[in-house]
Amino acid sequence: MPQALAMRTSAPPRPRRAGPAAEPALVRWILMATALAFLALFLALPLVVVLTEAFRKGVGVYAAALRDPDALAAVRLTLLTAAIAVPLNLVFGVAAAWSIAKFTFPGKQLLVTLIDVPFTVSPVIAGMMFVLLFGAQGWFGPWLADHGIGIVFAVPGIVLATIFVTVPFVARELIPLMQEQGTEEEEAAMVLGASGWQTFRRITIPSIKWGLLYGVIVCNARAMGEFGAVSVVSGHIRGVTNTLPLQVEILYNEYHLAAAFAVASLLALLAIVTLVARSLVEWFELHRRTDTTHEQETTA
Amino acid sequence: MSIEVRDVSKVFVGSQALNGVSLEIPAGELVALLGPSGSGKTTLLRIIAGLEAPDSGTIHFHGEDATERHVRDRRVGFVFQHYALFRHMSVLENVAFGLRVRPPSTRPNEAEIRRRAHDLLRLVQLDGVAGRDPSELSGGQRQRVALARALAVEPNVLLLDEPFGSLDAKVRKELRRWLRRLHDEIHVTSVFVTHDQEEALEVADRIVVMNEGRVEQVGTPEEVYEHPASEFVYRFLGDVNLFHGRLVRPHDVELARTAQGAGAVLATVRHLRPFGAVVRVELDGLDGGQTIEVEVARERYVELALQKGDQVYVSPREVDPPHRFGRERPA
Repeated sequence: MPQALAMRTSAPPRPRRAGPAAEPALVRWILMATALAFLALFLALPLVVVLTEAFRKGVGVYAAALRDPDALAAVRLTLLTAAIAVPLNLVFGVAAAWSIAKFTFPGKQLLVTLIDVPFTVSPVIAGMMFVLLFGAQGWFGPWLADHGIGIVFAVPGIVLATIFVTVPFVARELIPLMQEQGTEEEEAAMVLGASGWQTFRRITIPSIKWGLLYGVIVCNARAMGEFGAVSVVSGHIRGVTNTLPLQVEILYNEYHLAAAFAVASLLALLAIVTLVARSLVEWFELHRRTDTTHEQETTA
Repeated sequence: MSIEVRDVSKVFVGSQALNGVSLEIPAGELVALLGPSGSGKTTLLRIIAGLEAPDSGTIHFHGEDATERHVRDRRVGFVFQHYALFRHMSVLENVAFGLRVRPPSTRPNEAEIRRRAHDLLRLVQLDGVAGRDPSELSGGQRQRVALARALAVEPNVLLLDEPFGSLDAKVRKELRRWLRRLHDEIHVTSVFVTHDQEEALEVADRIVVMNEGRVEQVGTPEEVYEHPASEFVYRFLGDVNLFHGRLVRPHDVELARTAQGAGAVLATVRHLRPFGAVVRVELDGLDGGQTIEVEVARERYVELALQKGDQVYVSPREVDPPHRFGRERPA
């Protein structure tokens, strides 16, 4: 899964002399070697395995597996799901972070806690919750059936489950950022005559854009890679309700190993793209934060 | 444009920030809101700006009730304590912002916007850094950019929240003289908040002394310093000593080797600061052990040949009228 591969990259270590508080060289080497060995074993190796298995029977088989109608349907559904879930979470995340960071209102702490619920609940439980609500035997099941609306074992259920598990990503990224920035710049803009929308577009958005982009990238990776919650509500109807991760599972269970790994390689590709995008955004963000720190130092 | 504050009160969660404050600020004056932290001065400034709404009372600009007017329609220039410059915009764009966000009908064209922003930067002597980011400027430069940005909208009133608060001592002195000169040049009604009495005394035409959400006294620097209306004002505007229930400024205390008159107290010299024309002497009173601060002229110091540990007589100089402020023994 892409988010398992993604990890926070840190700033390149500055070359410096070992100070009096530095650890002995041996200790440092052991720590570094342990970390690298761990990464190689648990992150790099699986990626290599996925790619070798995918091409084991040749490029022809690989291409054929990706051209399979069910695989293409899975790609389309995954893209569709992400295309709905990510923008919705973007809007929700900005709205939630804005209200939490810039205003005080009753129930604010509750909202902060609720945003974290998807992080603390197992995705399978989330999926089952939707089945209990919208399934044939669920609370709203009969009403939905009467009106011919299918949610569970259909595309809407997959989208709902995906939105649920990705809710925290954008909001969580923005809340600390907006809290740190405070409201003075917005106030300054308003005093200068800017309308609410002008203030938002010209002041708020530019100052959170890197954090926002970062949140969107991570949210997207999760939306495309989500398995548990989607698996429960999907019903695994080939070519209709299978997303990429579900398609991989089906192929694997049916011993189509080369095809399974070929489709999996798409998700691995997504992981690599996400990693690169994340690193780029973090690099820019780090740049900005260094500026801000510098600013605070000279003010003090 | 004149500002009038009528009976304004404001309560924040659990604490009274302003308690029935009334105040008149004539057009063209430079006024200081002076008080300790928590006295409500910043709240009052933000209410005048429209950044906070009063719980009761009204704000009038040029005789017109502006209490309900939105902050963006009040045409005030506001300089924030930490400047609040837009960090993702260049210095020039910061100054131009107020013009750029105007509705198309009143917005000057691009060339005019740039010309006016450059003019303002010249006014604050910063045209050379127009293309830089705020993070590349020093504190004093940022302060001036914030001022230029506030002036760009041709404000009716200029409001400054602790404008020199986060600057080092030398820059602070320069900037406040500069602000005084700037005000003499452009004459926009200005109100600044400060907790530094020296700053208020040096810069303002008029000082509003605030304490615990109320106005203690309004007057020229000379009036509030020489004729304080309350004990609080007297204490807040300088060091004081207490003699038999009377408050006395350090420069109104006399030192002598022999007892002079009935009010004299025997005290031990604890610390001397013999620099400059005025020598500061710290003494411990022998009767109550209280600390007495005295400022004596250099000639007198030489004449007395004061040494650390000396015992001398301390007596208040007769001032007219003596400051008593009602209570017999002030806390």
